[in-house]
Amino acid sequence: MFHYHFQSGSGCFLVGGLVSLLIIAAAQTALSAPETEHLVVYSGRAERLIKPLLDAFQEKTGIRVDLLSSATTEIVNRLHAEGARTPADVLVTNDAGSLERARQLGLLRPLSDPGIAAVIPAPFRAADNSWIGLSGRVWAIVYNTSLVKPGELRSLLDLANPQWKDRIAIPNAGSEYLQAGVSVVHAVYGRDRTKRFLEGLKANAGTQVYGKSSQIVEAVAKGQVALGVVNHYYISRYLVNQPTAPIATLLPDQYEGGMGVVMNVAGIGITAHAKRPHLARRLVEYLVSEEGQKFFADLNKEYPLRPNVAADPSLPPFKTIRVAPVPLARLAELRESALSLIEEVGLR
Amino acid sequence: MPSISARQVTWNSLSWLAAPVAGLLCLPPVYVAYLACTAHPSVWTRLWTTRVPELLLNTFALAFSVAFGTLLLGVSLAWVVTRWDFPGRAFWEGALVLPLAMPTYVLAFIYSYLLGAGGPVEGAWQRLVGPEARLPSPHSYAGATLVMTLDTFPFVYVLARTALLNMNASYEEVAKACGASRPRILYRITLPLMRPAVVAGLSLVILYVVSDFGAVSLLRYQTLTYAVYQQLTGRYDQAAASILSLLLVVIALLFLYLERRSRHRSRFYQTTGRYRRRMPHPLSPLATILATLYVSAVWMASFGLPALLLIRWSWGALSSGAVDARFWAFAGNSVLLSGLAATVAMLLGFPLAYLATRRSTRLTQLSLQTAYAGYVLPGPVGALAWLAIVTNLMPFLLGSAVILVLAYVVHFLPAGLQALEPALEQVTPNLEEASRSLGLGLAATLRRITLPLAQGGMATAWVLMFLQSMKELPATLLLRPVGFDTLAVRVWLEASEEYYQLAAPSALLLVMMALPVIVLLEAQQRRAA
Repeated sequence: MFHYHFQSGSGCFLVGGLVSLLIIAAAQTALSAPETEHLVVYSGRAERLIKPLLDAFQEKTGIRVDLLSSATTEIVNRLHAEGARTPADVLVTNDAGSLERARQLGLLRPLSDPGIAAVIPAPFRAADNSWIGLSGRVWAIVYNTSLVKPGELRSLLDLANPQWKDRIAIPNAGSEYLQAGVSVVHAVYGRDRTKRFLEGLKANAGTQVYGKSSQIVEAVAKGQVALGVVNHYYISRYLVNQPTAPIATLLPDQYEGGMGVVMNVAGIGITAHAKRPHLARRLVEYLVSEEGQKFFADLNKEYPLRPNVAADPSLPPFKTIRVAPVPLARLAELRESALSLIEEVGLR
Repeated sequence: MPSISARQVTWNSLSWLAAPVAGLLCLPPVYVAYLACTAHPSVWTRLWTTRVPELLLNTFALAFSVAFGTLLLGVSLAWVVTRWDFPGRAFWEGALVLPLAMPTYVLAFIYSYLLGAGGPVEGAWQRLVGPEARLPSPHSYAGATLVMTLDTFPFVYVLARTALLNMNASYEEVAKACGASRPRILYRITLPLMRPAVVAGLSLVILYVVSDFGAVSLLRYQTLTYAVYQQLTGRYDQAAASILSLLLVVIALLFLYLERRSRHRSRFYQTTGRYRRRMPHPLSPLATILATLYVSAVWMASFGLPALLLIRWSWGALSSGAVDARFWAFAGNSVLLSGLAATVAMLLGFPLAYLATRRSTRLTQLSLQTAYAGYVLPGPVGALAWLAIVTNLMPFLLGSAVILVLAYVVHFLPAGLQALEPALEQVTPNLEEASRSLGLGLAATLRRITLPLAQGGMATAWVLMFLQSMKELPATLLLRPVGFDTLAVRVWLEASEEYYQLAAPSALLLVMMALPVIVLLEAQQRRAA
């Protein structure tokens, strides 16, 4: 009887199916077998903003870097699900909130050499050095100089005023920095005020909701809308290509007693279950070095966080900017309620 | 020679082998249901009071409007190309199925470029009306309806066309002879005769809309399927995702049940042998122009224009060096994964279909039916299920390609079985029995009789599963191994940041791989009609 199992075609098919699954599994294991000199990076930062650095690091050290790019929260979820089996050695994201969240879940390990972390000022890294900020960005208002006088608004919350009906452009609800911005406003002004702000923002923007911030700047430059909210670097980038464009940057809430601008950082952490922590440390070292800082920040015209590294000269000096007094690490706990508010108001 | 009883035993044990396969296939929905039922009651109440009503409304509203849109487009286009004769008719008849080659997310990103703020359509509109003029955003209910309608109307079109071609002309002629007016003939004879085909087409459309992830995510229109993905990726919440998933599975099951029932009640039979095809009616020059305008407008909107844009963007990407070794590696990954998935699905599906057609017992029938479980698993739900199963039960498989292949197999086996089952049914058992009685064993009979005869259907099944896997998005996004991106993933990553030019080469390659298959299937269909 047993004999027939193997003679029968269907049995062969079944066995064949299982065997091929096993072969894939084996091939996979063989592929992912730990080599001496390679590093796995999970990244929530846009690929074109991280790949050049990893390529430079690979060039410099001979350490091969494998990159998995995805949405920030998804990559943290994935790291969480994989637990001790994760192939990842390093986590890079564009949002301090998700790095802090990863730290709270026990997915990151404190940097063993505090000297490396110390070059980055304390507000821009985790208390235990589980993650370290690499570059800073602030939420700025871009305005069309022929349509708006700089005195016409001074606070982010002014954007919700009826005078801006159909005259502003905003990023879509999926963007991480909108979520972080709402978190900060929420922490400073409370739920009701934030909700009114978002409702006004939604009404004023109408259909001018963009997936890509460069398009917001473009819409402002063309005069389709008077103002837009974007990360500061989009404005500088546009001006590099179109120096005569009638646009300017306005940093909101800079007056005495004002909230200050919303700030967030891109950062890096070594995973708790990294198989190659020593290689991961070398990547961190490279990224906080003066050379790495300059490269990382300039690639996207962000602010380097290492104090003695100069930011791109086209940017307003970092030291003069008033920043909202919400610690970066708190972005993690604030996020859920910000998401609920965004959903409730129905921002697209 | 084996005795009769020994053979009987073989068949029985084979039937029992089918059971574990079926078990594997229905594991994901069962596990999702388990996760949802063990979720904390507070999660249930939170979801029911906040998200669920809105999501249900959005999902049903989209399904309804797309069904309505495809009904109008599909039936009217089928009518134009079968009932009227005008120059170019044969070309349009075939060309109208081509939108099937366009994945929904590709069409979605093209339309969010065309109609989006700052896009070419808005620009043209502003030149006409003034710089302050606005167009409704494509990231809306209307936008999602437009894109899904343009992408799925061929389902209705193909079936309605077949119904019209196969309709016996004498029914309408008898009605006419009895003095019925033309609208009356249409309402009393023609449309009722088309109903089963149209209903079948519409139910395909609705199932497609309910389970679509790519288009609604790029157009940011909140349906249940998209919400499942968002819960999984934007939040840290598997419980909520599993509850929404269970809801989706239940809706899909209910829908399939209703659809089968309505099909049972409305069957029409050709009772006499006197079948005559109705000849298409020649059109006047003016009517020809109008018909051509209508057909070509729909075709341009659903396929022509998007394809042209993809070609233009790809050309730009090609000349700027974006089509590099990495791009071809992604293409290779796509082909490898999809090829593996289609092959494994074939190996698992064949015995199920074979047993169910040759030794129809309750067990084999049940096994076959459970293989259709993939139908009620929209991509993100399948991804959630596999993610949870692997995390909780087989952690050693996390981040390996095995799990991705399994997800594809379960999801796309139904599509393959639909081609495989009829192919095996058409091989008459008499031939196999003759072969067995002449002394060949089961394996030899399979190899020398069954497989050669069922070859065509098997190839179709393999290709269908291969293509569906190629364009699969949500499960791939969530389960892909490190450094193993596929074309679909690249399209999505670039398009969701609105880097259309970088998304175009991958999208174009996906479309180009699907085209020959669609053309071949269309040719087959027309020969059969």
